[in-house]
Amino acid sequence: MLRSAIGATVVGVAAFFLNRATLELPVFVPVGLFAVLLVVGIGFAALRYRLWGYEVRGDSLYLERGVLTRVRTVVPFVRIQHVDSARGPVERVLGLASTVVYTAGSRGADVRVPGLTADGSDELQDRLKGLAIRAEGDDAV
Amino acid sequence: MKLSPLSVPYKAAQKGGSIVFTLAFVLFSGASAFLGSIGGPLVAIGLLGLVVVVLVGYETLYYQRYDYDLTPDTFDIRSGVVSRRNREIPLRRIQNVDISRNVVQRVLGIAALDFETAGGSDTEAAIRYVTFEEAKRLQSEIARLKRGDAEDAPEVESDELFALSDRELGIVGALSFDLRGPGILFFLLSGSIPVVSSFFEFGVEATLLALGAVAVLAAVVLVSWLAGFALAVVNYYGFRLSRTDDELLYERGLLQRYDGSIPFDKIQTLTVEDNPLKRRFGYATLAIETAGYAPGQGTQRGSEAAVPLAERDRVLSLANDIEAFGTPEFTRPPKRIRRRYAARYLIVLGVVTALLFGVNTLLGASLPWYGPLAVLPLIPIAAHYKWKHRGYWLGENHVVTRNGFWKRQTKVVPYYRIQTVIDSRTIFQRRWHVATVTIDTAGSLSLSNQDAAAVDVEATDAERIRGALEDRLVTAVAERRSHRRQAAQPFIGPVEPDVPAEENGGESADGDAVDSESSEQTDTTSRDSDPSSV
Repeated sequence: MLRSAIGATVVGVAAFFLNRATLELPVFVPVGLFAVLLVVGIGFAALRYRLWGYEVRGDSLYLERGVLTRVRTVVPFVRIQHVDSARGPVERVLGLASTVVYTAGSRGADVRVPGLTADGSDELQDRLKGLAIRAEGDDAV
Repeated sequence: MKLSPLSVPYKAAQKGGSIVFTLAFVLFSGASAFLGSIGGPLVAIGLLGLVVVVLVGYETLYYQRYDYDLTPDTFDIRSGVVSRRNREIPLRRIQNVDISRNVVQRVLGIAALDFETAGGSDTEAAIRYVTFEEAKRLQSEIARLKRGDAEDAPEVESDELFALSDRELGIVGALSFDLRGPGILFFLLSGSIPVVSSFFEFGVEATLLALGAVAVLAAVVLVSWLAGFALAVVNYYGFRLSRTDDELLYERGLLQRYDGSIPFDKIQTLTVEDNPLKRRFGYATLAIETAGYAPGQGTQRGSEAAVPLAERDRVLSLANDIEAFGTPEFTRPPKRIRRRYAARYLIVLGVVTALLFGVNTLLGASLPWYGPLAVLPLIPIAAHYKWKHRGYWLGENHVVTRNGFWKRQTKVVPYYRIQTVIDSRTIFQRRWHVATVTIDTAGSLSLSNQDAAAVDVEATDAERIRGALEDRLVTAVAERRSHRRQAAQPFIGPVEPDVPAEENGGESADGDAVDSESSEQTDTTSRDSDPSSV
């Protein structure tokens, strides 16, 4: 999961090229910026990883995340509409997968559990599906 | 069943109008010179005739191939001239039934009928033009079938809950502003600005310019006020709200009449809204949200309001009538949070002042950059009021939150309607040990508006609220389920004793005959792939 640091590197590299493209003269500036960004990015990603957590509870799925803004989300099983297992291109390369839980809500309509292994994601999906069915959700709407 | 035959000429005329207009425009401008040699007016008339024939032909075909049918469980539509579409809408899933008629349609006695479901953002079925009587019949039939009454059940009488008096309509208008009016005006006038500005020699006194700016501003306010007034009157003229046992019915509109129904058991959130002016005079607005949409949403701005304006007590009793939440006793955020608001305002003020100062020094002008500092003494007061109008309350069956001073929204969410609970703490909130608990529902107004949220509550309280909400949702769902097994109407008003209880525990597949909140979970395996289970 720590590999979300890859994201930071990508951002760093992008910034590097952007810098190169726009301000061509001072060579060491983009390099320095890149280094700073990389360090900050990795630090941020590490923090993010440390602060990320989910828990399958008795009645609900509980998630905790966020570095600057800490967010805790509770998704009751009775409210789960469907569960996806999704893998983006980067995730596929790294052998990762996300599980996305959908509710009928408007704001927290999709709750994402990223950085799982492919098997872990499928397993979580199955588990949530089972729990949602057992919870026998009502119409809600 | 078929559409109203009058829909053929009406729709043909409607579509034809714009085409004929374009055609006329083209023919009488550039193309006429080219076509003139071949016999000008004749060609024009020929083309016109062709358009009319094609349109009338198409609409006739559309009419012939459009067929709808109301069965005990579903509303079926078979339509399409070229590509056919059969659509079945389970009656239980229908959220709102809306009828609208504009002036011409009223003269012709036809009406547009819309069904809303929670799925998708579009209207599920838009039936373009049946007779008004038929539309009303369908509306009440659907309500009847959802109730599960027999065919010959007596007509349910509706009690009038609220009617907007002319005086209240006037107040609604007086309190409405519409910025679109000045927007259009500005667009039209913007071309003339260079002309106007060329009248001024560069360096003419700033006072004159300032005066001009003030005049423009006043004009903008006036125009937007007039536009708002006109729109409000057109929208809410003759507003009436009435209820049957399980539906709210509303009627409104001056030029275009709207007739709609909102089933009680589809209501997600109630919002009571007011502003300092309305509070001063004891008025408030009530908005009712369902998952399908808010009534009239999209087409007309500001018409989401279910009750545009009424005395505060009346709004509250009306809201209590719909959702019996009682009298909320709000818990305010901790008092120290006022300091946070004050600090926030101070920062804004500081930035504004600094900006002005910067501009001032850069341009070398002598503007009174320290002007904004005059509001400094107001900051503690503003912070206090912001704090004062915040609060949350956990009732027996509802959670009520209140936020905002200028636009104070009191939101009532039944525990049963909670979708997710989000508890968030920004970096600043953590410094003050407070958190915001957001309660997400399926209501559609929340997309553009604020969700119900207990803002800046003590961090430990936030934890408690989150847990409590979760528990109560689970309890509410369980309660609801057991209620469902006993009676048809667990949610609104007294349970009717004469409604036969479901013998086999409410799990019967014909649950729609019982009520619309049973979700037929007998077929649970199809749940994940069933988007209509919303």
